[in-house]
Amino acid sequence: MAAATTRGPAANTPERRRLRESWALLLPAVIISLALVVFPILYATGLALSPPDATDIAFDQLTVETFRTVFTDPVFWSSVWVTMLIYVGSLIPQLILGTLIGYVLSRHVPGGRILQTLTLVPSLTASVVVGLVWLLLYDPSLGILNYLLEVVGIPRQDWLGDPDKVVWSLILIEIWQWTPLVALIVNAGIRNLPSEPFEAARVDGARWWQTGWHIGLPLLRPVLTVVALLRTVDLVRYFDTGYIMTQGGPLNASTTMNIYAYRNAFAELRLAPGSAAQLALFALVLLLAGLFTWLRRRSELES
Amino acid sequence: MNSSRSRTLGMLGTYVAYVVILVVFLGPVAFMFWGSLHRSGQIASSPPDFTAAATFDNYVKLFQNMDFGRYLVNSIVISGGATLIGLAAGACAAYCIARLGLRLLSLVTLVARMAPGVLFLIPLRVVAIKFGALESVPLNYILLILVHLIITLPLCVWLLLPFFEGIPTSIQEAAEIDGCNLRRTFWVIALPMVKPGLAVAGVISFIFSWNYFLFALALANVNTLPMTVIAFNFIGIGQYDWGGLMAAAVIIAAPTTLLTLFAQRFLVRGLAGGAVK
Repeated sequence: MAAATTRGPAANTPERRRLRESWALLLPAVIISLALVVFPILYATGLALSPPDATDIAFDQLTVETFRTVFTDPVFWSSVWVTMLIYVGSLIPQLILGTLIGYVLSRHVPGGRILQTLTLVPSLTASVVVGLVWLLLYDPSLGILNYLLEVVGIPRQDWLGDPDKVVWSLILIEIWQWTPLVALIVNAGIRNLPSEPFEAARVDGARWWQTGWHIGLPLLRPVLTVVALLRTVDLVRYFDTGYIMTQGGPLNASTTMNIYAYRNAFAELRLAPGSAAQLALFALVLLLAGLFTWLRRRSELES
Repeated sequence: MNSSRSRTLGMLGTYVAYVVILVVFLGPVAFMFWGSLHRSGQIASSPPDFTAAATFDNYVKLFQNMDFGRYLVNSIVISGGATLIGLAAGACAAYCIARLGLRLLSLVTLVARMAPGVLFLIPLRVVAIKFGALESVPLNYILLILVHLIITLPLCVWLLLPFFEGIPTSIQEAAEIDGCNLRRTFWVIALPMVKPGLAVAGVISFIFSWNYFLFALALANVNTLPMTVIAFNFIGIGQYDWGGLMAAAVIIAAPTTLLTLFAQRFLVRGLAGGAVK
Protein backbone atom coordinates (compact mmCIF):
# COMPACT_ATOMS: atom_id res chain seq x y z
CA MET A 1 0.00 0.00 0.00
CA ALA A 2 1.12 3.50 -0.70
CA ALA A 3 2.02 5.23 2.51
CA ALA A 4 -0.08 8.37 2.60
CA THR A 5 1.25 11.25 4.61
CA THR A 6 -0.69 10.88 7.80
CA ARG A 7 -1.57 13.92 9.80
CA GLY A 8 -3.88 12.81 12.55
CA PRO A 9 -7.51 12.07 11.78
CA ALA A 10 -7.42 13.89 8.43
CA ALA A 11 -5.68 10.86 6.96
CA ASN A 12 -8.94 9.04 6.59
CA THR A 13 -11.06 11.70 4.90
CA PRO A 14 -12.59 10.47 1.63
CA GLU A 15 -10.42 12.98 -0.23
CA ARG A 16 -7.24 11.38 1.14
CA ARG A 17 -8.51 7.89 0.48
CA ARG A 18 -9.29 8.77 -3.12
CA LEU A 19 -5.84 10.24 -3.59
CA ARG A 20 -4.34 7.00 -2.27
CA GLU A 21 -6.47 4.93 -4.61
CA SER A 22 -5.70 7.07 -7.65
CA TRP A 23 -1.98 6.41 -8.02
CA ALA A 24 -2.36 3.49 -10.41
CA LEU A 25 -4.59 5.56 -12.69
CA LEU A 26 -2.21 8.49 -12.61
CA LEU A 27 1.00 6.54 -13.09
CA PRO A 28 1.02 6.31 -16.93
CA ALA A 29 0.29 10.00 -17.48
CA VAL A 30 2.75 11.04 -14.78
CA ILE A 31 5.54 8.90 -16.23
CA ILE A 32 4.87 10.19 -19.76
CA SER A 33 4.77 13.80 -18.52
CA LEU A 34 8.01 13.45 -16.57
CA ALA A 35 9.88 11.66 -19.35
CA LEU A 36 8.63 13.63 -22.34
CA VAL A 37 7.79 17.09 -20.98
CA VAL A 38 9.50 17.89 -17.66
CA PHE A 39 12.81 16.12 -18.32
CA PRO A 40 13.34 17.59 -21.83
CA ILE A 41 12.61 21.11 -20.60
CA LEU A 42 15.10 20.77 -17.73
CA TYR A 43 17.64 19.17 -20.08
CA ALA A 44 17.21 21.93 -22.67
CA THR A 45 17.66 24.52 -19.91
CA GLY A 46 20.90 22.79 -18.91
CA LEU A 47 22.07 22.80 -22.53
CA ALA A 48 21.23 26.48 -22.89
CA LEU A 49 23.36 27.20 -19.80
CA SER A 50 26.33 25.27 -21.24
CA PRO A 51 28.98 26.83 -23.52
CA PRO A 52 27.80 27.58 -27.10
CA ASP A 53 29.64 24.62 -28.66
CA ALA A 54 28.64 22.04 -26.01
CA THR A 55 27.31 18.69 -27.24
CA ASP A 56 25.86 17.83 -23.83
CA ILE A 57 25.21 19.59 -20.53
CA ALA A 58 28.51 20.85 -19.11
CA PHE A 59 27.71 20.84 -15.39
CA ASP A 60 31.17 22.05 -14.43
CA GLN A 61 31.11 25.18 -16.59
CA LEU A 62 27.58 26.60 -16.45
CA THR A 63 27.46 30.01 -18.08
CA VAL A 64 25.12 32.52 -19.70
CA GLU A 65 27.53 32.80 -22.63
CA THR A 66 25.18 30.89 -24.96
CA PHE A 67 22.31 33.28 -24.27
CA ARG A 68 24.68 36.16 -24.96
CA THR A 69 25.70 34.53 -28.26
CA VAL A 70 22.07 34.14 -29.31
CA PHE A 71 20.98 37.59 -28.15
CA THR A 72 23.83 39.27 -30.06
CA ASP A 73 23.07 37.34 -33.27
CA PRO A 74 21.38 39.68 -35.78
CA VAL A 75 19.67 36.66 -37.41
CA PHE A 76 18.00 35.88 -34.07
CA TRP A 77 16.56 39.39 -33.82
CA SER A 78 15.42 39.29 -37.42
CA SER A 79 13.70 35.99 -36.56
CA VAL A 80 11.92 37.71 -33.64
CA TRP A 81 10.76 40.42 -36.05
CA VAL A 82 9.59 37.89 -38.67
CA THR A 83 7.74 35.93 -35.95
CA MET A 84 5.90 39.01 -34.72
CA LEU A 85 5.11 40.08 -38.29
CA ILE A 86 3.60 36.68 -39.14
CA TYR A 87 1.78 36.66 -35.81
CA VAL A 88 0.15 40.09 -36.02
CA GLY A 89 -0.21 39.98 -39.81
CA SER A 90 -2.10 36.68 -39.64
CA LEU A 91 -4.06 37.07 -36.41
CA ILE A 92 -5.85 40.34 -37.22
CA PRO A 93 -7.17 39.28 -40.67
CA GLN A 94 -8.06 35.85 -39.24
CA LEU A 95 -10.16 37.44 -36.52
CA ILE A 96 -11.87 39.98 -38.81
CA LEU A 97 -12.54 37.57 -41.70
CA GLY A 98 -13.34 34.75 -39.30
CA THR A 99 -15.98 36.87 -37.56
CA LEU A 100 -17.57 37.92 -40.86
CA ILE A 101 -17.57 34.36 -42.23
CA GLY A 102 -18.76 33.04 -38.87
CA TYR A 103 -21.73 35.39 -39.16
CA VAL A 104 -22.51 34.11 -42.67
CA LEU A 105 -22.25 30.50 -41.46
CA SER A 106 -24.64 31.19 -38.59
CA ARG A 107 -27.50 32.08 -40.98
CA HIS A 108 -29.89 29.18 -41.16
CA VAL A 109 -30.26 28.07 -44.76
CA PRO A 110 -30.96 24.61 -46.19
CA GLY A 111 -27.72 22.71 -46.68
CA GLY A 112 -25.78 25.06 -44.42
CA ARG A 113 -24.28 22.31 -42.27
CA ILE A 114 -22.59 20.57 -45.19
CA LEU A 115 -21.10 23.86 -46.35
CA GLN A 116 -19.80 24.56 -42.85
CA THR A 117 -18.08 21.19 -42.69
CA LEU A 118 -16.44 21.70 -46.06
CA THR A 119 -14.98 25.06 -45.02
CA LEU A 120 -13.16 23.40 -42.12
CA VAL A 121 -11.07 21.17 -44.42
CA PRO A 122 -8.04 23.53 -44.81
CA SER A 123 -7.59 23.87 -41.03
CA LEU A 124 -7.41 20.13 -40.45
CA THR A 125 -5.16 19.31 -43.38
CA ALA A 126 -1.46 18.59 -42.85
CA SER A 127 0.89 21.55 -43.35
CA VAL A 128 2.90 19.42 -45.76
CA VAL A 129 -0.15 19.15 -48.00
CA VAL A 130 -0.88 22.87 -47.70
CA GLY A 131 2.76 23.64 -48.48
CA LEU A 132 2.83 21.39 -51.54
CA VAL A 133 -0.37 22.82 -53.00
CA TRP A 134 0.71 26.43 -52.47
CA LEU A 135 4.17 25.77 -53.90
CA LEU A 136 2.34 24.82 -57.08
CA LEU A 137 -0.09 27.77 -56.91
CA TYR A 138 2.78 30.21 -56.24
CA ASP A 139 5.13 28.80 -58.89
CA PRO A 140 6.47 31.97 -60.57
CA SER A 141 6.30 30.80 -64.20
CA LEU A 142 3.78 27.95 -64.15
CA GLY A 143 1.57 28.67 -61.14
CA ILE A 144 -2.10 29.39 -61.59
CA LEU A 145 -1.99 32.48 -59.34
CA ASN A 146 0.40 34.37 -61.62
CA TYR A 147 -1.70 33.29 -64.61
CA LEU A 148 -4.82 34.75 -62.95
CA LEU A 149 -2.93 37.96 -62.12
CA GLU A 150 -1.85 38.23 -65.75
CA VAL A 151 -5.44 37.81 -66.93
CA VAL A 152 -6.50 40.84 -64.88
CA GLY A 153 -3.41 42.78 -65.96
CA ILE A 154 -1.20 42.62 -62.85
CA PRO A 155 2.46 41.67 -63.43
CA ARG A 156 3.68 38.22 -62.32
CA GLN A 157 4.99 38.03 -58.76
CA ASP A 158 7.95 36.11 -57.36
CA TRP A 159 5.92 35.03 -54.33
CA LEU A 160 8.51 33.02 -52.44
CA GLY A 161 11.79 34.09 -54.03
CA ASP A 162 11.61 37.80 -53.19
CA PRO A 163 12.81 38.57 -49.62
CA ASP A 164 10.37 41.50 -49.42
CA LYS A 165 7.34 39.40 -50.40
CA VAL A 166 7.97 35.97 -48.91
CA VAL A 167 6.55 36.72 -45.43
CA TRP A 168 3.38 38.17 -46.94
CA SER A 169 3.00 35.11 -49.14
CA LEU A 170 3.26 32.88 -46.05
CA ILE A 171 0.79 35.10 -44.16
CA LEU A 172 -1.68 34.71 -47.04
CA ILE A 173 -1.48 30.91 -46.70
CA GLU A 174 -1.81 31.14 -42.93
CA ILE A 175 -4.97 33.24 -43.29
CA TRP A 176 -6.35 30.79 -45.85
CA GLN A 177 -5.63 27.76 -43.67
CA TRP A 178 -6.86 28.95 -40.26
CA THR A 179 -9.63 31.48 -40.91
CA PRO A 180 -12.15 28.62 -41.33
CA LEU A 181 -11.46 27.35 -37.82
CA VAL A 182 -11.89 30.85 -36.37
CA ALA A 183 -15.12 31.19 -38.38
CA LEU A 184 -16.53 27.91 -37.06
CA ILE A 185 -15.79 28.75 -33.45
CA VAL A 186 -17.29 32.24 -33.87
CA ASN A 187 -20.29 30.63 -35.57
CA ALA A 188 -20.79 28.29 -32.60
CA GLY A 189 -20.43 31.33 -30.32
CA ILE A 190 -23.07 33.28 -32.26
CA ARG A 191 -25.51 30.37 -31.99
CA ASN A 192 -25.08 30.43 -28.20
CA LEU A 193 -25.89 34.14 -27.89
CA PRO A 194 -29.17 35.14 -26.23
CA SER A 195 -31.74 36.28 -28.80
CA GLU A 196 -33.50 38.95 -26.68
CA PRO A 197 -31.07 41.86 -27.25
CA PHE A 198 -31.18 41.29 -31.01
CA GLU A 199 -34.95 41.16 -31.12
CA ALA A 200 -35.19 44.33 -29.02
CA ALA A 201 -32.83 46.08 -31.44
CA ARG A 202 -34.86 44.92 -34.43
CA VAL A 203 -38.04 46.25 -32.84
CA ASP A 204 -36.25 49.58 -32.32
CA GLY A 205 -35.50 49.64 -36.05
CA ALA A 206 -31.73 49.11 -35.93
CA ARG A 207 -30.01 48.01 -39.13
CA TRP A 208 -28.34 44.55 -39.14
CA TRP A 209 -24.86 46.03 -39.23
CA GLN A 210 -25.65 48.36 -36.31
CA THR A 211 -26.94 45.40 -34.30
CA GLY A 212 -23.85 43.39 -35.15
CA TRP A 213 -21.45 46.16 -34.22
CA HIS A 214 -23.11 47.42 -31.04
CA ILE A 215 -24.67 44.22 -29.65
CA GLY A 216 -23.16 41.16 -31.34
CA LEU A 217 -19.46 42.03 -31.09
CA PRO A 218 -19.45 43.00 -27.39
CA LEU A 219 -21.30 39.77 -26.56
CA LEU A 220 -18.82 37.76 -28.64
CA ARG A 221 -15.79 39.28 -26.96
CA PRO A 222 -15.15 36.32 -24.62
CA VAL A 223 -15.26 33.89 -27.56
CA LEU A 224 -12.95 36.06 -29.65
CA THR A 225 -10.49 36.32 -26.76
CA VAL A 226 -10.25 32.53 -26.49
CA VAL A 227 -9.85 32.18 -30.26
CA ALA A 228 -7.12 34.81 -30.22
CA LEU A 229 -5.37 32.88 -27.42
CA LEU A 230 -5.54 29.60 -29.35
CA ARG A 231 -4.20 31.19 -32.52
CA THR A 232 -1.50 33.08 -30.58
CA VAL A 233 -0.01 29.88 -29.18
CA ASP A 234 0.19 28.38 -32.67
CA LEU A 235 1.29 31.48 -34.60
CA VAL A 236 4.15 32.46 -32.30
CA ARG A 237 5.50 28.92 -32.73
CA TYR A 238 5.16 29.20 -36.53
CA PHE A 239 7.23 26.50 -38.18
CA ASP A 240 5.61 23.95 -40.47
CA THR A 241 4.41 25.66 -43.61
CA GLY A 242 7.31 28.12 -43.65
CA TYR A 243 9.94 25.43 -43.24
CA ILE A 244 8.31 23.24 -45.88
CA MET A 245 8.11 26.02 -48.47
CA THR A 246 11.21 28.13 -47.91
CA GLN A 247 13.31 26.58 -45.10
CA GLY A 248 13.48 30.13 -43.76
CA GLY A 249 14.86 31.69 -46.94
CA PRO A 250 15.57 33.58 -49.07
CA LEU A 251 18.32 35.30 -47.01
CA ASN A 252 16.58 34.41 -43.72
CA ALA A 253 13.65 36.61 -44.79
CA SER A 254 11.16 33.99 -43.56
CA THR A 255 13.21 32.59 -40.65
CA THR A 256 10.91 32.63 -37.63
CA MET A 257 12.20 32.01 -34.09
CA ASN A 258 11.18 28.37 -34.30
CA ILE A 259 12.87 27.86 -37.69
CA TYR A 260 15.97 29.68 -36.41
CA ALA A 261 16.23 27.34 -33.43
CA TYR A 262 15.55 24.24 -35.52
CA ARG A 263 18.22 25.10 -38.07
CA ASN A 264 20.68 25.90 -35.28
CA ALA A 265 20.08 22.61 -33.49
CA PHE A 266 19.62 20.21 -36.40
CA ALA A 267 21.31 21.67 -39.46
CA GLU A 268 24.34 23.21 -37.74
CA LEU A 269 24.23 20.84 -34.72
CA ARG A 270 24.59 23.76 -32.33
CA LEU A 271 22.47 22.28 -29.55
CA ALA A 272 23.11 24.92 -26.89
CA PRO A 273 22.16 28.01 -28.96
CA GLY A 274 19.20 26.08 -30.37
CA SER A 275 17.97 25.35 -26.83
CA ALA A 276 18.52 28.94 -25.70
CA ALA A 277 16.53 30.29 -28.67
CA GLN A 278 13.74 27.79 -27.93
CA LEU A 279 13.57 28.90 -24.30
CA ALA A 280 13.29 32.52 -25.46
CA LEU A 281 10.46 31.50 -27.78
CA PHE A 282 8.72 29.55 -25.00
CA ALA A 283 8.95 32.61 -22.74
CA LEU A 284 7.35 34.71 -25.49
CA VAL A 285 4.48 32.21 -25.91
CA LEU A 286 3.87 32.19 -22.14
CA LEU A 287 3.97 35.99 -22.00
CA LEU A 288 1.40 36.43 -24.78
CA ALA A 289 -0.78 33.57 -23.54
CA GLY A 290 -0.71 35.13 -20.07
CA LEU A 291 -1.80 38.45 -21.55
CA PHE A 292 -4.81 36.91 -23.31
CA THR A 293 -5.73 34.86 -20.25
CA TRP A 294 -5.69 38.07 -18.20
CA LEU A 295 -7.88 39.80 -20.80
CA ARG A 296 -10.27 36.86 -20.71
CA ARG A 297 -10.53 36.99 -16.92
CA ARG A 298 -11.14 40.71 -17.04
CA SER A 299 -13.92 40.43 -19.62
CA GLU A 300 -15.49 37.62 -17.56
CA LEU A 301 -15.46 39.81 -14.46
CA GLU A 302 -17.09 42.65 -16.37
CA SER A 303 -19.95 40.58 -17.76
CA MET B 1 -40.71 46.26 -47.29
CA ASN B 2 -42.35 42.87 -47.82
CA SER B 3 -40.90 40.55 -45.18
CA SER B 4 -41.04 37.31 -47.19
CA ARG B 5 -39.30 39.00 -50.13
CA SER B 6 -36.57 40.36 -47.87
CA ARG B 7 -36.12 36.90 -46.38
CA THR B 8 -35.68 35.41 -49.84
CA LEU B 9 -33.15 38.12 -50.65
CA GLY B 10 -31.33 37.45 -47.39
CA MET B 11 -31.19 33.75 -48.18
CA LEU B 12 -29.95 34.46 -51.68
CA GLY B 13 -27.25 36.74 -50.27
CA THR B 14 -26.22 34.02 -47.83
CA TYR B 15 -25.88 31.49 -50.65
CA VAL B 16 -23.83 33.91 -52.73
CA ALA B 17 -21.54 34.42 -49.73
CA TYR B 18 -21.32 30.64 -49.27
CA VAL B 19 -20.26 30.15 -52.88
CA VAL B 20 -17.51 32.78 -52.51
CA ILE B 21 -16.32 31.21 -49.24
CA LEU B 22 -16.24 27.72 -50.74
CA VAL B 23 -14.41 28.82 -53.89
CA VAL B 24 -11.73 30.61 -51.85
CA PHE B 25 -11.20 27.93 -49.21
CA LEU B 26 -11.79 24.80 -51.28
CA GLY B 27 -10.43 26.03 -54.62
CA PRO B 28 -6.83 25.05 -53.79
CA VAL B 29 -8.03 21.70 -52.38
CA ALA B 30 -10.04 20.99 -55.55
CA PHE B 31 -7.04 21.97 -57.69
CA MET B 32 -4.88 19.52 -55.72
CA PHE B 33 -7.40 16.73 -56.34
CA TRP B 34 -7.65 17.58 -60.05
CA GLY B 35 -3.85 17.76 -60.27
CA SER B 36 -3.44 14.31 -58.74
CA LEU B 37 -5.40 12.89 -61.70
CA HIS B 38 -3.35 14.59 -64.42
CA ARG B 39 0.15 14.66 -65.86
CA SER B 40 2.66 17.22 -64.62
CA GLY B 41 2.76 18.97 -67.98
CA GLN B 42 -0.99 19.56 -67.86
CA ILE B 43 -0.91 20.85 -64.26
CA ALA B 44 2.09 23.12 -64.29
CA SER B 45 1.37 25.15 -67.39
CA SER B 46 -0.05 28.58 -67.89
CA PRO B 47 -3.04 28.13 -67.99
CA PRO B 48 -3.51 24.55 -66.70
CA ASP B 49 -5.01 22.20 -69.30
CA PHE B 50 -8.46 21.60 -67.78
CA THR B 51 -9.65 19.74 -70.87
CA ALA B 52 -7.23 16.82 -70.42
CA ALA B 53 -8.60 13.38 -69.52
CA ALA B 54 -8.17 12.08 -65.99
CA THR B 55 -5.82 9.19 -65.22
CA PHE B 56 -4.79 7.28 -62.11
CA ASP B 57 -1.18 6.99 -63.30
CA ASN B 58 0.20 9.24 -60.54
CA TYR B 59 -1.25 6.99 -57.84
CA VAL B 60 -0.10 3.80 -59.54
CA LYS B 61 3.44 5.18 -59.91
CA LEU B 62 3.47 6.36 -56.31
CA PHE B 63 2.72 2.91 -54.95
CA GLN B 64 4.74 0.93 -57.49
CA ASN B 65 7.91 2.99 -57.88
CA MET B 66 7.97 4.95 -54.66
CA ASP B 67 6.83 2.25 -52.25
CA PHE B 68 4.33 4.72 -50.85
CA GLY B 69 2.33 1.98 -49.16
CA ARG B 70 5.10 1.52 -46.60
CA TYR B 71 5.02 5.19 -45.63
CA LEU B 72 1.23 5.03 -45.37
CA VAL B 73 1.57 2.13 -42.93
CA ASN B 74 4.23 4.08 -40.98
CA SER B 75 1.86 7.04 -40.62
CA ILE B 76 -0.93 4.77 -39.39
CA VAL B 77 1.34 2.97 -36.90
CA ILE B 78 2.75 6.20 -35.43
CA SER B 79 -0.48 8.20 -35.21
CA GLY B 80 -2.62 5.21 -34.29
CA GLY B 81 -0.23 4.12 -31.53
CA ALA B 82 0.13 7.62 -30.11
CA THR B 83 -3.65 8.11 -30.19
CA LEU B 84 -4.44 4.83 -28.40
CA ILE B 85 -1.83 5.29 -25.66
CA GLY B 86 -2.70 8.98 -25.29
CA LEU B 87 -6.38 8.13 -25.00
CA ALA B 88 -5.81 5.42 -22.38
CA ALA B 89 -3.38 7.40 -20.21
CA GLY B 90 -5.29 10.63 -20.81
CA ALA B 91 -8.64 9.17 -19.77
CA CYS B 92 -7.21 7.84 -16.47
CA ALA B 93 -5.48 11.14 -15.75
CA ALA B 94 -8.42 13.34 -16.77
CA TYR B 95 -10.70 11.36 -14.44
CA CYS B 96 -8.35 11.86 -11.49
CA ILE B 97 -7.96 15.57 -12.28
CA ALA B 98 -11.75 15.92 -12.45
CA ARG B 99 -12.18 14.20 -9.07
CA LEU B 100 -9.13 15.44 -7.17
CA GLY B 101 -7.97 18.71 -8.71
CA LEU B 102 -4.25 17.87 -9.17
CA ARG B 103 -3.29 21.27 -10.52
CA LEU B 104 0.35 20.39 -11.05
CA LEU B 105 -0.45 17.62 -13.54
CA SER B 106 -2.88 19.77 -15.50
CA LEU B 107 -0.23 22.50 -15.56
CA VAL B 108 2.32 20.09 -17.08
CA THR B 109 -0.10 19.10 -19.84
CA LEU B 110 -0.75 22.78 -20.51
CA VAL B 111 3.01 23.40 -20.79
CA ALA B 112 3.22 20.54 -23.30
CA ARG B 113 0.50 22.23 -25.33
CA MET B 114 2.25 25.62 -25.33
CA ALA B 115 5.96 24.86 -25.58
CA PRO B 116 7.48 24.76 -29.08
CA GLY B 117 8.19 21.21 -30.27
CA VAL B 118 11.91 21.77 -30.90
CA LEU B 119 12.37 22.40 -27.16
CA PHE B 120 11.48 18.75 -26.49
CA LEU B 121 13.15 17.55 -29.64
CA ILE B 122 16.72 18.64 -28.88
CA PRO B 123 17.06 16.69 -25.59
CA LEU B 124 15.05 13.73 -26.86
CA ARG B 125 17.29 13.43 -29.91
CA VAL B 126 20.41 13.45 -27.70
CA VAL B 127 18.93 10.65 -25.58
CA ALA B 128 17.72 8.73 -28.64
CA ILE B 129 21.23 8.77 -30.11
CA LYS B 130 22.61 7.36 -26.83
CA PHE B 131 20.13 4.48 -26.98
CA GLY B 132 20.72 3.89 -30.70
CA ALA B 133 17.03 4.60 -31.32
CA LEU B 134 17.66 6.54 -34.52
CA GLU B 135 19.03 3.60 -36.54
CA SER B 136 17.14 0.64 -35.09
CA VAL B 137 13.76 0.19 -36.76
CA PRO B 138 11.68 -1.19 -33.84
CA LEU B 139 13.22 1.28 -31.36
CA ASN B 140 12.57 4.13 -33.77
CA TYR B 141 8.89 3.22 -34.10
CA ILE B 142 8.60 3.18 -30.30
CA LEU B 143 10.45 6.51 -30.09
CA LEU B 144 8.17 8.15 -32.66
CA ILE B 145 5.01 6.87 -30.95
CA LEU B 146 6.27 8.08 -27.57
CA VAL B 147 7.26 11.51 -28.87
CA HIS B 148 3.87 11.96 -30.53
CA LEU B 149 2.35 11.46 -27.07
CA ILE B 150 3.53 15.04 -26.43
CA ILE B 151 0.71 16.00 -28.81
CA THR B 152 -1.95 13.42 -28.06
CA LEU B 153 -1.79 13.13 -24.25
CA PRO B 154 -2.43 16.82 -23.41
CA LEU B 155 -5.17 16.96 -26.07
CA CYS B 156 -6.91 13.90 -24.62
CA VAL B 157 -6.66 15.21 -21.05
CA TRP B 158 -8.08 18.63 -21.94
CA LEU B 159 -10.80 17.29 -24.20
CA LEU B 160 -11.95 14.62 -21.73
CA LEU B 161 -11.92 16.83 -18.61
CA PRO B 162 -15.29 18.52 -19.29
CA PHE B 163 -16.89 15.12 -19.95
CA PHE B 164 -15.69 13.68 -16.62
CA GLU B 165 -16.61 16.90 -14.81
CA GLY B 166 -20.11 16.57 -16.25
CA ILE B 167 -20.79 13.30 -14.42
CA PRO B 168 -22.84 14.02 -11.29
CA THR B 169 -20.75 13.56 -8.14
CA SER B 170 -23.69 11.92 -6.38
CA ILE B 171 -23.58 8.87 -8.69
CA GLN B 172 -19.89 8.33 -8.05
CA GLU B 173 -20.12 8.84 -4.32
CA ALA B 174 -23.02 6.42 -4.13
CA ALA B 175 -20.86 3.82 -5.86
CA GLU B 176 -18.05 4.45 -3.42
CA ILE B 177 -20.38 4.07 -0.44
CA ASP B 178 -21.37 0.70 -1.95
CA GLY B 179 -17.73 -0.30 -1.66
CA CYS B 180 -16.22 0.61 -5.04
CA ASN B 181 -12.81 2.17 -4.83
CA LEU B 182 -11.83 5.05 -7.13
CA ARG B 183 -10.42 2.79 -9.84
CA ARG B 184 -13.54 0.66 -9.95
CA THR B 185 -15.81 3.70 -10.06
CA PHE B 186 -13.76 4.98 -13.00
CA TRP B 187 -13.94 1.69 -14.86
CA VAL B 188 -17.57 0.72 -14.19
CA ILE B 189 -19.33 4.08 -13.98
CA ALA B 190 -17.35 7.01 -15.37
CA LEU B 191 -15.75 5.47 -18.48
CA PRO B 192 -18.98 4.14 -20.05
CA MET B 193 -20.57 7.57 -19.51
CA VAL B 194 -17.90 9.45 -21.49
CA LYS B 195 -17.89 7.31 -24.64
CA PRO B 196 -18.75 10.32 -26.86
CA GLY B 197 -15.83 12.19 -25.29
CA LEU B 198 -13.47 9.32 -26.06
CA ALA B 199 -14.56 9.43 -29.71
CA VAL B 200 -13.97 13.21 -29.95
CA ALA B 201 -10.60 13.06 -28.19
CA GLY B 202 -9.53 10.09 -30.31
CA VAL B 203 -10.45 11.75 -33.61
CA ILE B 204 -8.84 15.11 -32.79
CA SER B 205 -5.68 13.48 -31.40
CA PHE B 206 -5.33 11.31 -34.47
CA ILE B 207 -5.77 14.27 -36.85
CA PHE B 208 -3.22 16.41 -34.98
CA SER B 209 -0.58 13.72 -34.67
CA TRP B 210 -1.13 12.70 -38.32
CA ASN B 211 -0.56 16.29 -39.43
CA TYR B 212 2.39 17.01 -37.10
CA PHE B 213 5.54 16.74 -39.12
CA LEU B 214 8.35 18.21 -37.05
CA PHE B 215 9.01 15.24 -34.75
CA ALA B 216 9.25 12.70 -37.55
CA LEU B 217 11.33 15.13 -39.62
CA ALA B 218 14.01 15.16 -36.94
CA LEU B 219 13.79 11.62 -35.55
CA ALA B 220 12.54 9.14 -38.18
CA ASN B 221 14.88 6.99 -40.27
CA VAL B 222 14.52 5.72 -43.83
CA ASN B 223 12.40 2.76 -42.75
CA THR B 224 10.04 4.52 -40.35
CA LEU B 225 9.30 7.76 -42.25
CA PRO B 226 5.65 8.78 -42.25
CA MET B 227 4.05 10.11 -45.45
CA THR B 228 4.32 13.75 -44.41
CA VAL B 229 8.13 13.61 -44.26
CA ILE B 230 8.57 11.59 -47.46
CA ALA B 231 6.35 14.07 -49.31
CA PHE B 232 8.56 16.89 -47.99
CA ASN B 233 11.66 15.00 -49.19
CA PHE B 234 10.10 14.62 -52.66
CA ILE B 235 10.07 18.42 -53.01
CA GLY B 236 13.83 18.59 -52.93
CA ILE B 237 14.40 15.95 -55.61
CA GLY B 238 15.37 17.95 -58.70
CA GLN B 239 12.58 18.12 -61.25
CA TYR B 240 9.15 18.70 -59.75
CA ASP B 241 6.88 15.78 -60.45
CA TRP B 242 3.77 17.83 -59.72
CA GLY B 243 1.35 15.03 -60.53
CA GLY B 244 3.06 12.65 -58.10
CA LEU B 245 3.30 15.34 -55.42
CA MET B 246 -0.40 16.15 -55.70
CA ALA B 247 -1.30 12.44 -55.51
CA ALA B 248 0.81 12.13 -52.34
CA ALA B 249 -0.90 15.24 -50.95
CA VAL B 250 -4.35 13.77 -51.63
CA ILE B 251 -3.47 10.51 -49.86
CA ILE B 252 -2.14 12.41 -46.81
CA ALA B 253 -5.20 14.68 -46.71
CA ALA B 254 -7.84 12.00 -47.32
CA PRO B 255 -8.06 10.38 -43.83
CA THR B 256 -8.17 13.68 -41.94
CA THR B 257 -10.75 15.07 -44.39
CA LEU B 258 -12.99 12.02 -43.98
CA LEU B 259 -12.71 12.20 -40.19
CA THR B 260 -13.55 15.91 -40.35
CA LEU B 261 -16.65 15.25 -42.43
CA PHE B 262 -17.86 12.53 -40.05
CA ALA B 263 -17.12 14.26 -36.78
CA GLN B 264 -17.63 17.96 -37.57
CA ARG B 265 -20.45 18.42 -35.06
CA PHE B 266 -18.17 17.37 -32.17
CA LEU B 267 -14.93 18.73 -33.58
CA VAL B 268 -15.77 22.40 -33.26
CA ARG B 269 -16.55 22.17 -29.56
CA GLY B 270 -13.37 20.16 -29.01
CA LEU B 271 -11.21 22.56 -31.00
CA ALA B 272 -12.76 25.66 -29.45
CA GLY B 273 -10.73 25.23 -26.26
CA GLY B 274 -13.55 26.23 -23.94
CA ALA B 275 -14.66 29.19 -26.08
CA VAL B 276 -17.99 27.51 -26.72
CA LYS B 277 -19.90 25.58 -24.12
